[in-house]
Amino acid sequence: MTHATATANAMRPPFPTERGVEAYNTKLGMWVFLASEVMFFTGLIGSYIVLRFGAPGEWARPGIVLNIPVTAFNTFLLICSSVSMVKAYAAIADGNQKMLKVWFLLTILGGAMFVGVQIYEYLHLVHSGFVPSGVREGSELAERVANGTLPAATMGLYGSTFYTMTGFHGFHVTCGVVSMTYLFFRKVLPGKYTQQDYRGVEVVGLYWHFVDLVWIILFTIVYLI
Amino acid sequence: MSSLAAAPVAHAHHDERPFVRKYIFSTDHKIIGIQFLFLSLFFLFLGGILAMQIRWQQGFPGQPMPGGGILPETMAPGGLLLPEYYIQLVTMHGTFMVFFAIMPLLVGVYANFLIPLKIGAHDMAFPRVNMASFWAAFLAGLVMFASLFVPEGAARAGWTMYAPLSARPDLSGAGLGQQLWCVSIVLLGLSSILGSLNYITTVINNRAPGMTWFRLPLSVWALFVTAILGLLALPVLSGAAIMLLFDQTIGTHFFDAPAGGQVLLWQHLFWFFGHPEVYILILPAMGMVSDLIANGSRKPIFGYHSMVFAIIAIGFLSWLVWGHHMFMSGMNPTLGSLFMVTTLVIAVPSAIKTFNWLGTMWRGDLHFHVPMLNAVAFVAMFVIGGLSGVFMAATPVDMPIHDTYFIVAHIHYVLFGGSLFALFGAITFWFPKMFGRVMSERWGKIHFWPTFVFFNLVFFPMHTLGMGGHMRRIYDPTVYEFLKPYQPMNRFISLAAFALFATQFIFLANFVWSLFRGKKAEQNPWRDNGLEWSLPSPAPHGNWERVPTVYRGPYEFSHPQAVEDCLPQYVKLPGDPEPAGAKGAAG
Amino acid sequence: METAHRKHPPYLLIWLYLFLLTAAEIALAFELPFSRNVKLILLLGLAVWKALLVALFFMHLKFERWHLRILAIVPLPLAAIFILAAITENLW
Repeated sequence: MTHATATANAMRPPFPTERGVEAYNTKLGMWVFLASEVMFFTGLIGSYIVLRFGAPGEWARPGIVLNIPVTAFNTFLLICSSVSMVKAYAAIADGNQKMLKVWFLLTILGGAMFVGVQIYEYLHLVHSGFVPSGVREGSELAERVANGTLPAATMGLYGSTFYTMTGFHGFHVTCGVVSMTYLFFRKVLPGKYTQQDYRGVEVVGLYWHFVDLVWIILFTIVYLI
Repeated sequence: MSSLAAAPVAHAHHDERPFVRKYIFSTDHKIIGIQFLFLSLFFLFLGGILAMQIRWQQGFPGQPMPGGGILPETMAPGGLLLPEYYIQLVTMHGTFMVFFAIMPLLVGVYANFLIPLKIGAHDMAFPRVNMASFWAAFLAGLVMFASLFVPEGAARAGWTMYAPLSARPDLSGAGLGQQLWCVSIVLLGLSSILGSLNYITTVINNRAPGMTWFRLPLSVWALFVTAILGLLALPVLSGAAIMLLFDQTIGTHFFDAPAGGQVLLWQHLFWFFGHPEVYILILPAMGMVSDLIANGSRKPIFGYHSMVFAIIAIGFLSWLVWGHHMFMSGMNPTLGSLFMVTTLVIAVPSAIKTFNWLGTMWRGDLHFHVPMLNAVAFVAMFVIGGLSGVFMAATPVDMPIHDTYFIVAHIHYVLFGGSLFALFGAITFWFPKMFGRVMSERWGKIHFWPTFVFFNLVFFPMHTLGMGGHMRRIYDPTVYEFLKPYQPMNRFISLAAFALFATQFIFLANFVWSLFRGKKAEQNPWRDNGLEWSLPSPAPHGNWERVPTVYRGPYEFSHPQAVEDCLPQYVKLPGDPEPAGAKGAAG
Repeated sequence: METAHRKHPPYLLIWLYLFLLTAAEIALAFELPFSRNVKLILLLGLAVWKALLVALFFMHLKFERWHLRILAIVPLPLAAIFILAAITENLW
């Protein structure tokens, strides 16, 4: 916190505070923010469900367009980075600065690799002809549509929903990686978090686990169903 | 004022931040509220100018608009409004008024200004997030304002942006304008989410000792529930606007029926946001009016608990009624009848609130100061708007009046007659605490009466127009044979609308004059009970040196034990139990 | 609230659960001979199970008070209402 909020913060009891819902401000604020994020993804995922339910014909079967092994690896990465995040939290709760740094850095690396793999995945998909508007003319996938392996009628919806949902999830991961990197250099490395006050780790952790949670849902409904 | 002797101490030390930090990139909730006030009053005025052009076209179709010569050839050659420009007018009037005038006026201004002052906090829970919320709204407003000036003109699909017209530039004829609309709405959504999470956290966590949930003023209750609605509704709109933007730009097919998309999906998304939004636009007004009416009647509010539960019930039910905007869209009729029932049910808590306001005024010691006048006008106008809302909730009635001027009359009775009258009252009421000066009572009344009269002259005949089948967004009513008999009425409405607009300059003049030349305000000019009146006017940076302790509810007027007829929340009477410290505030 | 070396939930064990459940999902989707509808229900069940594990243990909802849990739960019925209502468009 900078001097801008110092006035207000000085008046508040030190962490941990027990007022209202017995969660300190930033934690409560993050939960409230996550509630709004749930509604944002409800809009996107709900649209996908509604569109797929009312699609004019069969949806492409899983595993034909999308590269499942790569994404499965990516899912694994995100789960690992989620567990490393919670290990970082446990480390600082025990007052272990060294393990906090290790686990926190691993979390950032996991998140960054996830974004990297997703970019790789996108590049390959676009190369094979899978674009947000559907299937690109004259591409490898266009041939599959022509020979009937892929349904022509729903490929447009497939591309629209796939790129919007995974794209916004990737955007959230990127935001998480950026803010964790900032925290790492500003707070974790200088040892600003202590066993008495590690609010930032908990709050950014909440966001990070939420992003992981959304991916768990997305992976199942987009890639496997 | 003897009863104020025990008043908590205000922040005394001099505020030494540089000008930019103090008034522009400020993190002080009061300054942010005032910034929102000026921003939204600008858009209110802009929306009014657009409305006047609409009224000119409706009242005098085919005649050049006076002063229309300054508009470019692409909008109004020779002062004659083009149909392409007319549809932009109705679209942008709705957009500005809903998203950039009423919503920021109610939530941006009064949630920011009142919540910390009324619950006894030093500032919002996250002051910098609060500042970001204002600047996101400012940016959103700038983008929306800029869209008026792009070559093809602004968005043209109505403020509800129904697909496929909005989704396909080849249909609407406005590519960039439509895209800017989407971008602006996404930014506005961000602003609202940041604001709402701040308000919610502040109310839950940062109440003063003794400020239990059932001692919160009704304005804070209403703003709190509104914040929850905004928090959960705006992201849906943002998501929908993003999908719409993708449809327009990168060729996705969400709302593109030939490629399997669903146009009704847009309507579901929009109104799933849109109906909570309707209550975002009225709940804070209801809450503030409750404060004003209790003050003007010098009586405790009638049925405080039922008011609170009615607010919560409205907040909950607002999620279950969105389909009543879509009765005529060809949606599932079974669903339609469900939505009809839930919509009729939501009239119950609204009626509870109305009767409580009447009960508060009943045999009160009525003081018709300007805020009270506006609050009473709110109740009267809201009843008319609310009752026509019950008409529309019934599917068989909705079918003939759907998309007619009846709907226009209804929305203006609740948004202008409701929200805006409440806002005139609220602006006058809290003006002293904002700027340290009092708005002129005399000019306030001179503004109120013509506004009230002309408002009804403008919008009441619109019911008749609507029953006669006058469609909502038509360019020229005189081309329809069956609407020709209504043209004199249309012209009358237009003339009354011009008068209504002209009357608002009285308010503007009063506002600006009072800002610089108004009477210096004393600490508690309205003899009210809220915590904000324990501070000097204007309230200093950081509010209190030490937060006040709260001993009772906010509506103890004419209390037998009090010396005066008000008994503020922070005054300790002998025998008042001392609330537990910070822990007791958990309520 | 937190004292020195409080007992932490078995995070690595949960990580193992998540890993196994993901593997089970992939096997179910591509290897196992069930009908599409059975797969759909099982896959959704597994996804919810994983999501619950993350929410309860990693986000500590299991150890929070009800005040905060309610906050996390509030949007879910709204999401369900929206999706169910919008889906019925395709059913009549």
